Amino acid sequence: MKRLFKWLLPILLATAMVSPAMAALSIFVCEPEWGGLVNEIAGSRATVFSATTAMQNPHMVQARPSLVAHARVADLLIYSGAELEVGYLPVILQQSGNDKIQVGKTGNLDASKYVPLIEVPAILDRSLGDVHAMGNPHIHYDPRNMILVGEELKKRLIEIDPSGAAEYESRYKVFSDHMHAAIKRWEQEAAPLRGVAVIENHKEVSYLFNWLGMTVLGSLEPKPGVEPSAAHLYELVQNQKAHPAKMIVPASNRDPKPSQWLSDQIKIPVVPVPLTIGGSPGAKDLFSLYDDAIRSLLAGLKS
Amino acid sequence: MFKLKPMTVAIALAFSLPIGVQAQNTAADIDDIRKQVQEIKDAYENRIQGLEKRLKDAEDSATAAQSSSSKTDAQTQNVPMRQSTQNAFNPAISLILDATYGKFQQDPTKYAITGFQPSGATSPGDRSFSLGESELFITSNADQVFMGALNLSLHGDDTVSVEEAYFQTIALGHGLVVKGGRFFSGIGYQNSVHAHAWDFVDPSLVQRSFLGDNYGDDGLQLTWVAPLPVFVEVGGALGRGRNLVGTSSAGGLTANDLNKNGAGSGSAFLHVGDDVGVSNSYRAGISYLQTATGPNAFPLADFDTVTGVTNTFSSSKVRLYGADFVWKWSPEGNYQYQNFKFVAEWFQIHREGDLTFDTTGAAVTGPFTQHQSGWYMQGAYQFHPYWRVGLRYDQLQKGSFDGGINSANITPVDYTPQRYSAMIDWNPSEFSRIRVQYNEDKSQQNLTDHQIFLQYIFSLGTHGAHKF
Repeated sequence: MKRLFKWLLPILLATAMVSPAMAALSIFVCEPEWGGLVNEIAGSRATVFSATTAMQNPHMVQARPSLVAHARVADLLIYSGAELEVGYLPVILQQSGNDKIQVGKTGNLDASKYVPLIEVPAILDRSLGDVHAMGNPHIHYDPRNMILVGEELKKRLIEIDPSGAAEYESRYKVFSDHMHAAIKRWEQEAAPLRGVAVIENHKEVSYLFNWLGMTVLGSLEPKPGVEPSAAHLYELVQNQKAHPAKMIVPASNRDPKPSQWLSDQIKIPVVPVPLTIGGSPGAKDLFSLYDDAIRSLLAGLKS
Repeated sequence: MFKLKPMTVAIALAFSLPIGVQAQNTAADIDDIRKQVQEIKDAYENRIQGLEKRLKDAEDSATAAQSSSSKTDAQTQNVPMRQSTQNAFNPAISLILDATYGKFQQDPTKYAITGFQPSGATSPGDRSFSLGESELFITSNADQVFMGALNLSLHGDDTVSVEEAYFQTIALGHGLVVKGGRFFSGIGYQNSVHAHAWDFVDPSLVQRSFLGDNYGDDGLQLTWVAPLPVFVEVGGALGRGRNLVGTSSAGGLTANDLNKNGAGSGSAFLHVGDDVGVSNSYRAGISYLQTATGPNAFPLADFDTVTGVTNTFSSSKVRLYGADFVWKWSPEGNYQYQNFKFVAEWFQIHREGDLTFDTTGAAVTGPFTQHQSGWYMQGAYQFHPYWRVGLRYDQLQKGSFDGGINSANITPVDYTPQRYSAMIDWNPSEFSRIRVQYNEDKSQQNLTDHQIFLQYIFSLGTHGAHKF
């Protein structure tokens, strides 16, 4: 009996230590930034699967079998919304047979519902490109949005996993305090960027420009979702004389060639920014994402 | 003289009643009405101006809250549009427009696949300009338990068919999904893909011969996704058996065949899939489909060609076994600039039942079995955001035939139909595609058909989601 106990005790202890990890919430995020947010607020209470990376165009994602498999077991789904994932997420939701993450359920968190959207089109017509009826869905590049979505995420986590309520509350508080302080710091650091004119690639970085008060003079894409054309790039070259831009800012998932060509023509630097977490060696989590982007822009301004 | 109440005027205006009906009224009356209308207009204009001012104030404060000084685009504003009408609940609607121009060296109206039964459409297309299928998709959640979908196909010959009309559960949980109504069978890969999403103008020879463009049935389907880190899905369906696998729709099932209780078709499939690194993904599957003919006789066109007399089969059981594989690659998993898609499918059909040789003459009836198979593989490479090229190879194999007492009467042709296809398409957005395709089609013994297609496909309305 004593011997049995001797064997059992370590096993029981090991099980007790392992089981919280085994019972971790399974969270499916469509874009890596929401994984970053989960890490801040849920810590080790959740495991994250991200459908996309910072090197991919989040509009053009295949409804891969692996996405169905991970959606099947997810306790919570987080996505940018505003039609960003419209090309694959409905298929994944239908095929997964997971009732917890269907639209309208606690486990379905559409981040765009909790933040003010910019660039809401007044005219809806596909001849204007791949416009999003509800507004620009790339909401993650305004860190203030992370606080808003983070608060909703905290509520959802508490509802789904009440036993972790205290931890979610305290982690959110810490995150929110850190984020508020960081925003203040970033806004000071980025003061020289205010009013700086840039050329973007696609409207993926709009929220960052909007937050930092930068001016977008033009886009490499003639229309959202339409590839840069020679004629349009030539137009940008012409515009540069009358309205000079300081730098070209493509995101990490974009073909660098059009930016480089334009840069050679108009002699302003290309300043790539990570699309999201993982888009540059420095962008390892939410805080370092904004750090990295602002540092790159400031360096671009000096060069 | 009567006094018109403002409300009466408003109602009259709302229904666009011509003022002319009041012709007998005096000029004074008309002036009176004009005055009242003007008063109403003024009143409303004041209210509208007030509302506009309030909206502007709200906008200003919202903009201030955003602390935004970014470029204000002429076509954008920083206030979310809210739909508040009943229309907000309208289903998602999308419309596919499709047409082709075809050039065939051989007469497409005399097209046949030597040694194989046609299934569904027997023609490889039409010569000259022809409208293809215009597809109308309407889909919406019905409530918290069910979603519903309708797919109407408007054919170029002015007929309409219900390709799919089904419900699907959204709240069963545990990886279970029930689908009911009319829908494309989940067997194989290409079968459940709508024509507008095909990588080539036409379906594979094996698909055309055994399943038609898409094999669909009225029935119930259950699928289950296993709670595993890799994708494992099993599914099965029971159906009415509206169409017999591997049989011409022209000689399709009669009302009598269908007038029975129970299921006329059954199917099962298994899919597995996963990512391999960040750049590769695959799905592999096996499937089974079975339909039965009942006592009615079905034509055997390919035997008719060989024997010169009419032959039929009846009380037959037709079983189809399939295997499919799809693999997709893109650098870093970014599909925008480059991607490659490979598809291969194999099917084998087993027919067994009663064969009647020369129905109007000797009429010899005896049991028969026939096994036939076919496969294809195709690749489509998107080498530029707008451009894709594709290659496909098709083959059918005559397999085995045991005609029993009719073995002496019928000897199937020893021929292996083949086809080579090449296509290039231009996709200026996700919503349009212009395609050119060339086929070297050796479906018919001793005939090589050089086929050229020009095709457009446009997708209007809701941005549809596509399966893997």
